[in-house]
Amino acid sequence: MRDSVRNFFVMIELELRRLRHDRTELYFRAVQPILWIVIFGPVMSGIRAIPTGNIPYTDFITPGVLIQSTTFLCIFYGLMMVWERDSGILKKLLVTPASRYATVIGRSMASGIRAIFQGLIVIPVALIMSVKFIPNPAYFISAFVIIFLASGGFAAISILAASFMKTRERFMGIGQAIIMPLFFASNALYPVQIMPQILKDFSAFNPLSYVVDAVRGLLITGDLTNLPIDLAAIAIFDVILFILASVSFKRIIE
Amino acid sequence: METAVDVKNLVKVYNHKTRALDGIDLRLESGIAFALLGPNGAGKTTLMRILTTQLRPTTGEAYVFGLNVDREGGKVRRLISYVPQEMSVWTDISGYENLLIYAKIFGIPSHERKQIIDDSLKSMGLSQVANTLVKAYSGGMVRRLEIACAMLIKPKIMFLDEPTIGLDPSAKKVVWETLTSFKKEYGVTVFFNTHYMDEADLYSDRIAIIDKGKIVIQGTANELKRSVGGETISFDLAGNSINETIIQKIRGLTSVRDVMANSTELNIISENAETTLVEAMEILRIENIPLEKISIMKPTLDDVFLKYAGSRLETTGRISEVTHTRDMIRRG
Repeated sequence: MRDSVRNFFVMIELELRRLRHDRTELYFRAVQPILWIVIFGPVMSGIRAIPTGNIPYTDFITPGVLIQSTTFLCIFYGLMMVWERDSGILKKLLVTPASRYATVIGRSMASGIRAIFQGLIVIPVALIMSVKFIPNPAYFISAFVIIFLASGGFAAISILAASFMKTRERFMGIGQAIIMPLFFASNALYPVQIMPQILKDFSAFNPLSYVVDAVRGLLITGDLTNLPIDLAAIAIFDVILFILASVSFKRIIE
Repeated sequence: METAVDVKNLVKVYNHKTRALDGIDLRLESGIAFALLGPNGAGKTTLMRILTTQLRPTTGEAYVFGLNVDREGGKVRRLISYVPQEMSVWTDISGYENLLIYAKIFGIPSHERKQIIDDSLKSMGLSQVANTLVKAYSGGMVRRLEIACAMLIKPKIMFLDEPTIGLDPSAKKVVWETLTSFKKEYGVTVFFNTHYMDEADLYSDRIAIIDKGKIVIQGTANELKRSVGGETISFDLAGNSINETIIQKIRGLTSVRDVMANSTELNIISENAETTLVEAMEILRIENIPLEKISIMKPTLDDVFLKYAGSRLETTGRISEVTHTRDMIRRG
């Protein structure tokens, strides 16, 4: 158990060290959410077609596109797991004293570090676009903790998918196929209320919706009534995915 | 002597059809260097992956220092270190950081960490590039870093899958000299797979040849070579023939297995060419047989391999293939 906890923190440290040497990926990945905030948001708010309550449309979508980009990042983090299988890193990690479950969960959670840094790049751009955040550091920190926790689950999705996809090329395709439905069938760009019933039902099972809802509450609206449900949903999502990823991990190494 | 590895009738079948290991029996004492030689697909890597608890055997049992690799994997992993054939370091951090991450994973106490890492880097000749990103390392430097990593903890047994593949001769020598002194100093058992006959010959105490999932022969390098047939001494008789009495005399010498003669050549097959040579020379001198030249031919591990695995071990193509793959991975 102690080995496993230690392994978890070492994986986080590894990610920090990687980022210290090279953050190019994060800068390029920030382009997409920045485009949503700088172009899509202002253009759409001009037509006032989407009911977002009292808050401006750009403010409304900022948490959504931020979470979309961190989710993207985490899903593609699975690519790195595939890469590590092709190389010997995964084999060597499996021969260390930590359990293989700790390795899976540790590697997944480490993607959360990247997600946090991604957020830190996007937020200043949102500030420049005069998005109004709730001026409460505790809320701000909580939002990032939630992003971190949810990231592990999304990375685990990619580990699960990677265990079925034996080549990188196939995985690139499946990555897109997972992320876009999650994004469009969520409350990231529009409130769930205006969706057709079938999408509303889907959204109830969409982890992305819960994450966006929690982060939007903490950063933009200050409405925390759904927060306990969101947190519970994220926790359940993480646990289920960690279990599935750990079980399917066997396929990756054989 | 403690038993380091004990394998009993080990079978591994992949996907219900590919029989990678077909009844392996192997027993190794601790503190030795053991080389497993075999052609591609013979099962070398599979055996190593089972012993390092990555794969479960289909049937049969394997023990490392008395611990069952299947049921007591966690305990086994505390005793071993492992260098896979493929590249196993992170290229986007420095060499020092790679070792630091592994030192932490292995739970080396913080006050010892720096010293241990510096020592490993130094013994592998990497101190100069410790803080350079691994991306910028040559293939040989990467391999040395991987071995340094396996030396961080003082394992009871080290598993090395093709440890020196793609290294130039001088780097190879450095690696083996370090491994040999490491083995001596800490009593570490070294278990390695290799394609290099010379490496198995020079640096191992015991060799096994594996082919089609079975161990076809095992023993020390000398035992294996002797098993192929003796060493041959050839005398060029400069056109003089020798009579049957002389042949009988030579046949009577200790270590001599067989003698063949014709008008131009005398061939003696012996278990120990050097001593037989002295004795045979003496007989020929007494009988006044003039000699033009003498040559000794000893069987090599290559001959051993040819006899038991039925083919020569093709190394060149295979090595360039692995090096190429490693390079591709390194460049990302």
